Amino acid sequence: MINKVIHNKIKVIIVLIVIGFSQIVLAQNAPKEEDYYRITKVPTPEGVKVEGGGVLSLPDGTIAVCTRRGDVWIIENPTMANGYPSKFIKFASGLHEPLGLAYKDGALYTAQRGELTKLVDTDGDRIADVYETVYAWPLSTHYHEYSFGPVIAPDNAFFVTANVAFGNEEWWRGESRVPWRGWTMKIYEDGRMEPWATGMRSPAGYGLIDDELFYTDNQGDWVGSGGLWHLPKGVFTAHPAGLKWSEHKDSPIKLTKEAFYGKIDKRQVKKNGRYVKPENIIDEEDPDFVYEAKASFPEVQLPAVVLPHGILGISNSEIKVDKTGGKFGPFSGQVFVGDMGQSKIMRVVLEKVKGEYQGVAFDFRSGFQSGVMRMDFDQNGNLFVGETNRGWGSAGTTNSGLEFLTWTGRIPFEMKTVKSMPDGFEIEFTKPVDKSSAEDLDSYQGKSYIYKYHAAYGSPQANLETINLKGVNVSDDGYKVRIVTDNLRPFYVHEITLNGVKEKESGQITLHPTFYYTLNNIADGDKLELSQLSTKRSSSIKKKVAKKTKASKTAVAKKTKMVLTDAQVQPLLTNNTCVACHHKEKRIVGPSFKLIAKRNYTDEEMVDLIYNPQPKNWPEYATPMAPMPQVPKDEALKIAAWINSLK
Amino acid sequence: MKIKFLLILVLFGLCLSAQEEIKLDNLNDFKAQAGNWQIVGDVTVNRHVDVHHEATEENDSKKKKKRRKKKRNAIEPPKAIVSTPGTGILLNINDKEKHDALITNWEHGDLLLELEVLLPKGSNSGIYFQGRYELQLKDSWGVKNPLGSDMGGFHNNWETDEAKIFRGIPPTSNASKAPGLWQTYKVHFQAPRFDETGKKTANAKFISVDLNGVRIHNNVEVPTYTGGPIEKNEVAKGPLLIQGNHGPVAIRNFKYQLLKESSVELTSLSHVIYKGAFKGLDELNENAKVATGKSNKIDILSVGEEDEYGIMYIGTLDVAEKDDYIISVGYTGGVKLIFDNKKIVEDNSSSGEGWLNEEVTLSKGTHKFILINIKSAAWRAPRLGLSIKSKSTNSKDFHTYDSYPPNINTVSPIFVQPDSKPRLLRAFVSFNGNGKRLSHTIGVGTPEGVNYIYDLGAGNLVGVWRGEFVDATPMWHSRGDGSFKPKGAVQWTFLNQPIAQLSDSNTAFPETGTAPEFVSKGYVIDKTTWLPIFKYRYKDVDIENRITPDPSNNYVVHDIQFSKSGLTNWYCKLASGEVEKMSDGAYLIKDKQYYIKVLTGQIPIVRKVNGETELIIPVDGSNIKYEIIW
Repeated sequence: MINKVIHNKIKVIIVLIVIGFSQIVLAQNAPKEEDYYRITKVPTPEGVKVEGGGVLSLPDGTIAVCTRRGDVWIIENPTMANGYPSKFIKFASGLHEPLGLAYKDGALYTAQRGELTKLVDTDGDRIADVYETVYAWPLSTHYHEYSFGPVIAPDNAFFVTANVAFGNEEWWRGESRVPWRGWTMKIYEDGRMEPWATGMRSPAGYGLIDDELFYTDNQGDWVGSGGLWHLPKGVFTAHPAGLKWSEHKDSPIKLTKEAFYGKIDKRQVKKNGRYVKPENIIDEEDPDFVYEAKASFPEVQLPAVVLPHGILGISNSEIKVDKTGGKFGPFSGQVFVGDMGQSKIMRVVLEKVKGEYQGVAFDFRSGFQSGVMRMDFDQNGNLFVGETNRGWGSAGTTNSGLEFLTWTGRIPFEMKTVKSMPDGFEIEFTKPVDKSSAEDLDSYQGKSYIYKYHAAYGSPQANLETINLKGVNVSDDGYKVRIVTDNLRPFYVHEITLNGVKEKESGQITLHPTFYYTLNNIADGDKLELSQLSTKRSSSIKKKVAKKTKASKTAVAKKTKMVLTDAQVQPLLTNNTCVACHHKEKRIVGPSFKLIAKRNYTDEEMVDLIYNPQPKNWPEYATPMAPMPQVPKDEALKIAAWINSLK
Repeated sequence: MKIKFLLILVLFGLCLSAQEEIKLDNLNDFKAQAGNWQIVGDVTVNRHVDVHHEATEENDSKKKKKRRKKKRNAIEPPKAIVSTPGTGILLNINDKEKHDALITNWEHGDLLLELEVLLPKGSNSGIYFQGRYELQLKDSWGVKNPLGSDMGGFHNNWETDEAKIFRGIPPTSNASKAPGLWQTYKVHFQAPRFDETGKKTANAKFISVDLNGVRIHNNVEVPTYTGGPIEKNEVAKGPLLIQGNHGPVAIRNFKYQLLKESSVELTSLSHVIYKGAFKGLDELNENAKVATGKSNKIDILSVGEEDEYGIMYIGTLDVAEKDDYIISVGYTGGVKLIFDNKKIVEDNSSSGEGWLNEEVTLSKGTHKFILINIKSAAWRAPRLGLSIKSKSTNSKDFHTYDSYPPNINTVSPIFVQPDSKPRLLRAFVSFNGNGKRLSHTIGVGTPEGVNYIYDLGAGNLVGVWRGEFVDATPMWHSRGDGSFKPKGAVQWTFLNQPIAQLSDSNTAFPETGTAPEFVSKGYVIDKTTWLPIFKYRYKDVDIENRITPDPSNNYVVHDIQFSKSGLTNWYCKLASGEVEKMSDGAYLIKDKQYYIKVLTGQIPIVRKVNGETELIIPVDGSNIKYEIIW
């Protein structure tokens, strides 16, 4: 009897423990990207290498993929429905590293390195027998002269974008050695070519949005950060190499390279008979910005949306508009942009303010097995993703492949869109917010910055400034929040993190809490009255508690050098974009943190190398690290100490 | 995409070339022979006459012979090979009485040999290294799966004793050319080694054999003499022998280099090890000294540190023979080499890397040797190596293997090969292998192994080869450079837009096609052959090119068709370079590199424009068909 009682007691305790655990588990079970969007790999037959240069959904339900190996595969049953594997049919082969696919009137079109080619199967055996050159352009045969496309224009012509080459001695300087490198070309079915726009450096992504041409470019010389540009005819975006051909009779751009370099320093300097690679100038007095160049040269086109380098990708690729009518989730009509280096997809929402496109970008889905190069929706709303990293390194487990992304049917709590307002921004959510958390100014943290426009590789975030909120206004239905600030700066990226705004129902914060709004123009309209704003701050209540813990922490810090844990350092690594290229264990674009630790630098030396990287120290890494002077010294020291603890 | 680091690979010391040339003004380099070997000025081959067939005839029954003789009396039969007097070419024409081998006066151990050889149809000869190891010379044109008895093979012997049998080693591919064309050999031979008792310690080895620019053997050991040696044994030195009893053979550009083991020794070697973050060589000092010791070889790993070290080797270089020596020092960090207080090479750095080479004359005797190395560059592995050679010696390393390990390429190659159908692949191609890089080129490989490269930008057939198709590693590995390399001996043609309307006969052909006159239209696949039909438009005429293997799958036939007739002042360029007209109407091109034969009746014209000799034909719009035979 006694025994039994004890036994029962134990049972109760066990039950309590189990309940306790499950509560903890529930609390920790924060929503993950995969809860909303699932990645599925499409297995390829042994020996078939899909370095996806083009991915296209065809009207018959198949997916066409063109690969770096020069093949075009037609994949039947690509989602492996009915428990049946997909079938790979080799439609074409022997192409020169094609980097795009389009379909028109029963034919496939692809941009090879040197031409736009039309592929036709005339006898219905699903093997192309016509490889017709629509238009061929010259090449200097430099390895970097990739050509991307085509995208079919509303008038049924084709857009193709063309990479620059690099110098021989000046291996860092993008060059347009032959027409029309560094340009976007518009090509007609009859073989006519119309030079469309220039300023391209490595224009890996392109697409139509509202029947207008957009493209993405990669960070590098003259491109401080990747981004998305609207490309009407006759504009000049970023890289000046293509201006070499502006005096050509067909050029729609009149800005000459002489005029350009007369205004903006080419930074072409010889020392001891050798050219010196231009580097970022730390504490530069009056750096150039693209918007300033626009004041001198009206042809200049600002990026509609900057995708801050290292945060929203490092090598932006495909642009794809969600026209699935809801089959892909709650972001219908919005734009998805891929990234090769970070193997992920970002989400962009554009609006037209004062006649120009601009807008906001968010993280959307990471975790692909290799660099995201091309994407297309199939008819069921699956997003097919062709992958490659092409020797540049990327996050993930493979160097290439084909996957597709499927919406699970759950609605994530996300910022659906952000719009410019005369006094700040209006955020719209996918689900109602918890009003009290959304009205708390401490739930928001913001900063703004801009990228330099110079011949050096990339740019640090310049002119950083904190965005202080004056107040917020939450709509009655909880779907919209207006945030008001005096810190709006035209042309700057406004990065605001909603680290405390909770969903009404679940109490969770958004899946991706940060938005990046490129504010080329501030929208007109009515400003909110102060009386309409909530200005409460929860920190003013909590102050006492915060002080106490702070004091005890510093006491400990004084005794021994504090090394952060992996979990503690993670936000620092993310905010300062270290994780764009480095991983604790694995080589991504740069060496792993563990490998860096082996170099036996002191913490101070390592901080110095964060500010002034020495790519020659790592000759076996293809992509040189950009200087990161924007990393605060105290954070850099913490990161360095953590890296050194990995030895 | 991102910019690329230029990785400059420092290739060192491996490029050898033969230095001595046998002028072939006379036969003084060779032992006396029956007279079947002679010095001549030029040779011409009738590529249709089979000397093997002639030889068999000689053995036929008398009756048959008589019958033939009757026939022959009517017309003198064409000769397989005829020569003109002069110098520069060594020619063997053997008959029943005269069929001696040609044997050099000199003997060789290790040897570099370069020569060109020309054979008539069906002929057979061989180069016997040390008179014992035969590298086969044979007309093997068209052989798909070569054996040891084919051109470039090591011939089997006919021993029956298991211990002595050598079954022959075929070349890795058949790189040989058609009868009557000059073919180049480049051979690096290493003689067998013997100990004091005369016991063989290492087999004879062909370090490399290149035929027509294609590597056909790589580090191949020949464990015993091959068929028909000068003596049935193996020795340290023997003469070079060229077989003269199996058919005519001509040889020119005969160059060789005798090689011996280097006698240079590094003795009394000791070292001093220093520790410190030295930034320059002059920073080494007594205080930084941490250890001293004796060494047999240079060994940077003896420092025991990955970085921030210095080491000084002091020793004596014993030179047995005065000669010009090439000294090579491989290192990371900074380095300085001193002989007899004289600086030989120096890189006063703490983070450099590479090989420094210097040629110095060293007298017979001993020389004081000092080698200093520092490194203060954590990202570079410790490396220190020293190699010395002269033009007549093999290179000798004075370091341990891992003190400077060899640069081995561990990238898995990506080869492309047609399967049951032809394989097409576009890529950048360097004309001549290292010349102008063409941007709009396509390679076509057939299952039968007849391959070609066509330039869509000019409508031009730029090169042809037999054997395996291409190596696409340069295009598809890592970032790649967009190019592939043909895997066989390419017969390159010329760079021009080959069909053009010329204002007069002195006008050159356009360098390449240029819009709007010339517009490529790509190609369609002929579904019967799966080969492409190339299309382009030039001056409103649609032109189609078909390039197909001949029925024997040995060479190509180029067929050109025009959409219009009555064209005036239009010409087609067939070849560039010296031209010789042959009796069968074919043309020998560029000093006997290949043949062109027009099949459609147009009469070729030889003309010279801007110093370049060209073979051209007028174009009126009717079909052009010609063969390229190589």
